[in-house]
Amino acid sequence: MTVFHFFNCAILTFGPHAVYYSATPLSEYDTLGTSIKAAVVYLGTALVKLVCLATFLKVSDNESFDPYQELLKALIGFIDVAGLYFALTQLTHRNISQNHKFQAVGLGWAFADSVLHRLAPLWVGARGLEFTWDYILQGLEANANLVLSISLAALGSLMWLRKNKPKTLIPIIYICAGIVATMPSITSYLRRGLGWYFPEVVGFQLFTSLIMAFISWQLFAACQRPSA
Amino acid sequence: MGHGKPGQRQVLESVYSVIALFFILVACVELCDAATVVDVYRLIQYDMSGAQFGSRLANLNHHAGSLHSPPGSDLSRTVLIIPLRELNITFVREYITQKQPLGGLLILLPQMFSPENRETAKSSRETDGEDVLKNVLAELENLLTHSKIPYPVYFAFEDDDIEAVLADVKRNDATGQPATATTGGYKLVVSVPEPKKRASPTITNIQGWLSGLKTDGDTNQLPTIAIVASYDTFGAAPSLSVGSDSNGSGVVALLEIARLFSVLYSNPKTRGRYNLLFGLTSGGPYNYNGTNKWLRSFDQRLRESVDYAICLNSIGSWDKELWVHVSKPPENAYIKQIFEGFSDVAEELGITVGLKHKKINISNPRVAWEHEQFSRLRVTAATLSELSAAPELLESTGSLHDGRQFVNETAIIKSVKLVAESLARHIYGHKGKNIQIFAENSSLAVNPSYIKSWLDLLSQTPRVAPFLSKNDPFILALKKELEDHTDEVNVQHEVLDGVFTFYDSTRASLNIYQVASVTFDLLLLLVLGSYLIVLFSFLVITTRGLDDLISLFRRPPSRKVKTA
Repeated sequence: MTVFHFFNCAILTFGPHAVYYSATPLSEYDTLGTSIKAAVVYLGTALVKLVCLATFLKVSDNESFDPYQELLKALIGFIDVAGLYFALTQLTHRNISQNHKFQAVGLGWAFADSVLHRLAPLWVGARGLEFTWDYILQGLEANANLVLSISLAALGSLMWLRKNKPKTLIPIIYICAGIVATMPSITSYLRRGLGWYFPEVVGFQLFTSLIMAFISWQLFAACQRPSA
Repeated sequence: MGHGKPGQRQVLESVYSVIALFFILVACVELCDAATVVDVYRLIQYDMSGAQFGSRLANLNHHAGSLHSPPGSDLSRTVLIIPLRELNITFVREYITQKQPLGGLLILLPQMFSPENRETAKSSRETDGEDVLKNVLAELENLLTHSKIPYPVYFAFEDDDIEAVLADVKRNDATGQPATATTGGYKLVVSVPEPKKRASPTITNIQGWLSGLKTDGDTNQLPTIAIVASYDTFGAAPSLSVGSDSNGSGVVALLEIARLFSVLYSNPKTRGRYNLLFGLTSGGPYNYNGTNKWLRSFDQRLRESVDYAICLNSIGSWDKELWVHVSKPPENAYIKQIFEGFSDVAEELGITVGLKHKKINISNPRVAWEHEQFSRLRVTAATLSELSAAPELLESTGSLHDGRQFVNETAIIKSVKLVAESLARHIYGHKGKNIQIFAENSSLAVNPSYIKSWLDLLSQTPRVAPFLSKNDPFILALKKELEDHTDEVNVQHEVLDGVFTFYDSTRASLNIYQVASVTFDLLLLLVLGSYLIVLFSFLVITTRGLDDLISLFRRPPSRKVKTA
């Protein structure tokens, strides 16, 4: 019964990634290699991030919100953006269109994030007898994270790969990318600074991820038009 | 090759350490995942002459239920949680005597019965409710220890966590859906190994010897007076059986008497012409088995030199009246002498002492009082006790309700004065004279803080003999204390013989899990499945168009056509 629950939570956490891959043209163009490369880059980035966090951050015993520390954390969070930049521009991809490349990179990125941050707690916690909503919420959070990752990858590909984009849209693109990149810090602030509970935070994440996805989609479409 | 081996070993060692670390992590995780962990104490499990008594199982893995569950529902896979305050003794009695199936029983005791509860007697005495609870608990204990119960029975103390769980369970039961595997609720899990027999339980008697003053040329052996108290206990939950009154009070009194006489005997001028023998005996609940063994180990000369023995039993919660129990007729000269010694001093102290005579039936194996073991060996002896009648086997030997807060220190102090004073008058020949040897404010006064500290220690130490090892810290502490007050201390280890067999795992941790039902998980699976299908369709439509989605479902038949 509890293995059943674990199975459910695993479907919620990792299912959307698989569905995204199989439902979109990604599977037709066989972009799995790109996703795997992105995942490897994510692992490297996570390692660098850990080292930075361990070097620059003080360990606080209490769960209080310290603005200076959080600012530092947000700055370290931007290492993610650097990693994504590397994955999008420096890696040699098979000859796939930009349109599919950012999706593949975002998907691999989000999947690696889910595996790294959620698989172990899930395995340990969801199989126990005790029932909590935490693992279901965590699965929802993984969904929001997938959407955010793909949005960020889309914005990144607009910033770094597309040369002829409408001038008026450039600031909007950068602002949106900034917002998406600082999303982890925002949720951390909500949780610790404002004392929101986990369900509220997850709801907020889902909501904002959908909005950001919509905006990035519109931006992407707007940039697509003149070139097309 | 020479270089390769140490390197390999290093690698191996590091691998081992990683593996060890992993197991430690896993162990931590396994320990911490329950919502609530409660210390629980199992009902004693024992065999008496082959007949089985007590809780016969220890492992528990069932859903929680309460008394509010609808009548007639199947409780064979339910752990009933019953707070003592709501316990209906006739219901439990019926349930046990009719041998109705039950998954388990968890009885919640009020905090006042906890050995950790240090509340003093006075502040909690006033309420009548406590006496009612005490009586219910005594009745319950008697019922549980004397019946064979084929499911685990545990005791726990009320606290906020478990009360919250109980409130939830009650609410569920009240709505008429008892907790089973399909409706969720709480699951109570105690995982302990199968209870094992305690192989040959030992009982330990401790004897202290304070020798009297021998004048030169006196070839006769000095007469001896023995003061004896049995220190071990027996109760419904071995880990909670502290027996503050029965017989912690007797042990405390004995230690204090030993201390007082050690002061007197340390000075040759005040050293009496009697040897004093102090005996802390074990096996008290089992017909004073330890006392019997101890007496039989005496050599003939010592046994004949014993003038009389005074046994102390349950002297910690009386108000006005104490009883001297004897097995020789009251007309007997020695008995008369002992009783008069007591009653003279009692009069001065403003208490009454009654004499109770109970004949010994040699053919009956039951030994109700400790002095009867002496009497069987023709040694004059009496038991001083607050109990007016002989207790039944395994009764008044450290029940759950026999805690520190129900014991009155002043009662013990008075008893100590009574015994010490009458002994001293007998030893120094001041019989009938009104001389206070252990007067208050003198250097020989009874020390209340000594009594209090020993009583506190005894009230926190469960002392069921089969679960006390030979070198238990408590036994060593008693031995050391007697060593401080007497000339010579002997410790005697014996095997508890007779008909009793005991089983271990007396305490455990109860994990309380809040569990979801199978139906919930099924529903969740359905929701998730439809979510993924919707997501799939949405993605296909937005990225490839509706036609593609439809063509996805058309493909299989077309393939069939091909193969055909």
